[in-house]
Amino acid sequence: MRRKASFFVILILLSSPLFGAVAFAQVQIRVRVMEASNVGSGFDSSLRDLHDQLGSLFSFSSYRILKDETVSLSLNQSVSLPIPSERSLELTLINQLRVAAEVRVKISRAGRDVLTTLVRLAPGRSVSIGGPKHGESTVIVALSRL
Amino acid sequence: MKKECSSVSKLLEKYFDQEVTHAERSLVEGHLPDCPSCRDVLRSMERLRNFIRTPVEEAVEKEDLPWVWQKIERNIQLEEKRPWWEPVREWLDITPVLKKKVLIPVAVAAVVLILIMAPFLFEKTSSYPDPSVVEYVESETYNVMVYELETPQVTVIWLFEGPEQELSTS
Repeated sequence: MRRKASFFVILILLSSPLFGAVAFAQVQIRVRVMEASNVGSGFDSSLRDLHDQLGSLFSFSSYRILKDETVSLSLNQSVSLPIPSERSLELTLINQLRVAAEVRVKISRAGRDVLTTLVRLAPGRSVSIGGPKHGESTVIVALSRL
Repeated sequence: MKKECSSVSKLLEKYFDQEVTHAERSLVEGHLPDCPSCRDVLRSMERLRNFIRTPVEEAVEKEDLPWVWQKIERNIQLEEKRPWWEPVREWLDITPVLKKKVLIPVAVAAVVLILIMAPFLFEKTSSYPDPSVVEYVESETYNVMVYELETPQVTVIWLFEGPEQELSTS
């Protein structure tokens, strides 16, 4: 009986990488859209991990989170998210390397491409795309692979 | 006398093979000196035994017994050597009905796993590390700057989007 049980444990262990491989076909990207300005001061807690990076590069006094979403990307499938000032952010998984995922990022406004870039996202490393204006603030999009 | 001879002759073979009782032995040994016919029978038995024994002993002497034993031992070991899957199958200890039912899905799962993992296993990897996170960046409308640092790991793409920063597309 114990041997039969151990056999089924082995069977499950053998097939678990299969599920892992299926899950591996999708990439989870955390998208944080923030508004940076010199009006007021403060730093949202959900941006804590980006504090050093943003603080060392920019002189904004306030960083406020507008959107914090996790999207699942399948190969060659696009996911669109609206971002402030009638812009949209489109993410497409182009290639999946051993560690990093190649993601095409497109920011468009009124159907016109404003920016197109291809970035390699590895776990633990984020890429920030900033610059678009939103009133007196500047929009920064931080992409991180989960 | 004849009567005694017939009962003794029945015992002669047993006597020759030393399988008689003490009483039977006394009877035979008491009879033999007086009966040439029974003595002849006994002698012919002895001749026959010698006739068989001599060639057998000669053959045994010629034969290399240690070598024969080694040969037998080797054959026993070969017969005892089990295929590699036998211990696995014994360890799994599944009923004969289950054996086929379980091994087939396991084999199928293994094949599917190999097929799925093959592209990742044989994926081409660069021989040198490429620190660049940004493969390319383009904007037809605005100026773009890419800022990359390895320590600390920082990658920023900055779009200079402002009325005064917009590039002329005309």
